[in-house]
Amino acid sequence: MNHSGTGVSFENVSKHYGSLKAVDGLNLELRAGETVALLGPNGAGKSTSLDMLLALRKPTSGTIRMFGQDPYHAVKSGAVGAMLQSGGLMPEVTVRELVTLVAGLHPRPIAVDTTLRAAGIESVADQRVDRLSGGQTQRVRFALAIAGECDLIVLDEPTAAMDVETRQRFWASMKDEVAEGKTLLFATHYLEEADQAADRILVINRGRLLADGSPEDIKKHAGAKRMSFRLSGATEPFLLGLPGVVSVETRHDLVRIQTSDSDATLYAVFDAGYRPAEIEVGSLGLEQAFLAITAEDDRAASAEPATAS
Amino acid sequence: MRGILLLTRAEINRLRRNKRYLIFTVGLPVILYLIFAKAANTTIYGVNFSAYYMVAMATFGAFAGTLNGNSIRISEERKVGWIRQLRLTPLPANAYVIAKILTSMATTIPSIVIVFLLGRFYGHVQLPAWQWLVIGVIIWLGSTIFAALAVAVGYRYPPDQAQPITIALYFVFATLGGIWYPFTGVLGNISKATPTFEAVNISVDVIGNKAVPAYLAIGLVAWLAIFSALAVLSVRSMAESV
Repeated sequence: MNHSGTGVSFENVSKHYGSLKAVDGLNLELRAGETVALLGPNGAGKSTSLDMLLALRKPTSGTIRMFGQDPYHAVKSGAVGAMLQSGGLMPEVTVRELVTLVAGLHPRPIAVDTTLRAAGIESVADQRVDRLSGGQTQRVRFALAIAGECDLIVLDEPTAAMDVETRQRFWASMKDEVAEGKTLLFATHYLEEADQAADRILVINRGRLLADGSPEDIKKHAGAKRMSFRLSGATEPFLLGLPGVVSVETRHDLVRIQTSDSDATLYAVFDAGYRPAEIEVGSLGLEQAFLAITAEDDRAASAEPATAS
Repeated sequence: MRGILLLTRAEINRLRRNKRYLIFTVGLPVILYLIFAKAANTTIYGVNFSAYYMVAMATFGAFAGTLNGNSIRISEERKVGWIRQLRLTPLPANAYVIAKILTSMATTIPSIVIVFLLGRFYGHVQLPAWQWLVIGVIIWLGSTIFAALAVAVGYRYPPDQAQPITIALYFVFATLGGIWYPFTGVLGNISKATPTFEAVNISVDVIGNKAVPAYLAIGLVAWLAIFSALAVLSVRSMAESV
């Protein structure tokens, strides 16, 4: 069902609410078959971007295309299965009735029992949807997203209300979906989840794309290594001038450095004639990388107040 | 179209299980008819009281059920995000509203039929077959225009506001419409402008073998236009915030 090489594209997409730029000139492309995580702090524009992709909101400017169609027609042709945090369930019906209804709306429905099993909700199939726990409700929402055969699955904070075990089951069933060649786009707060599940990570902040790459690329982009040592006499400008250094933090003689190339940084310290003590070098987690990227961007934003929102 | 019918069927199944809805559409008019149909031995608008009251109660059940059954539910379904969820399915954007209106049209039929049966066998209302059919259709169409009003309220207001607004509308249209008892004088003239009065009185004129004044029919069509316009405005203005 994939009509062109690209799955999804955002071309210079903006969404403004008065003076607030929720999304500000976003450009991105998802290739068919990719699993992509969308990361960003609260208010970064993740949900607004997903809403526009799913034709729930119209961009102020720019174009979104999905499998060669505009978002509305792509959604209506059944190309997309989506699960949003803000999406709710029809009350007063049983889980099975609801899944049956939504499957029936799809041009390519999947057998209801298959969907119930994939979402892990067979045991509550005959319960009323308004009497489920938060985690069960979340899984029913997931069932609605996969009730029809689709090309793109969009998930907004899919595991928010799930305990650890449910979350693992969820990602296991998600892998099965992706193995069939579907494109998956998900927004999450759980960075280790993005690290493990995604081929590609998009970091957005203040409505713009800040970083785009594999989890390894993102870590590198942020300065993937951190090192610390004790050294008296080295000034901050000297340390910031070392090769690869992204940021420096000093307290008395303790120096903490974030760097993209720990070897080069350390050799330069030696070459300058210093002999630091208690040298420690380690990798940044994705979470720290992510915080570093967005913090840097926020600093840049506050330096130029005209564009701050 | 198939999707709209599937959704309508699901909506009808939900309503059948909803006690509040059954009380409004069937319970209340039936109880009131049993109490009052034989209480007065007069004629109203030129027909027997029991015939007038049958028409009034059938209209009451159908309009109250349509209004109460939809506006607060739509408001709640918007709040929980069900409307949003539906928009993520291949169902066309306006399908939700269309299914609600179709559901009202389907579910008011039994409530009208039950009151008619009560009128025939308890109130001894004797009418030729064509009159039963004509007044049934008039009450049915006249009441289901309230589905559009319910959409207008339910789409625009959150549940805590939709509830009092709906109750206010319900009392205004029931009372001013002369459902409880007919008005005369100034209130009588205001009453004539309500859709509930118009639906009741077109039917009563049909029963009384009188010519139906054009203003009654024009009035109903005008109300349909007003309610529909309000519904469209509500749905459009909320398009990005469901």
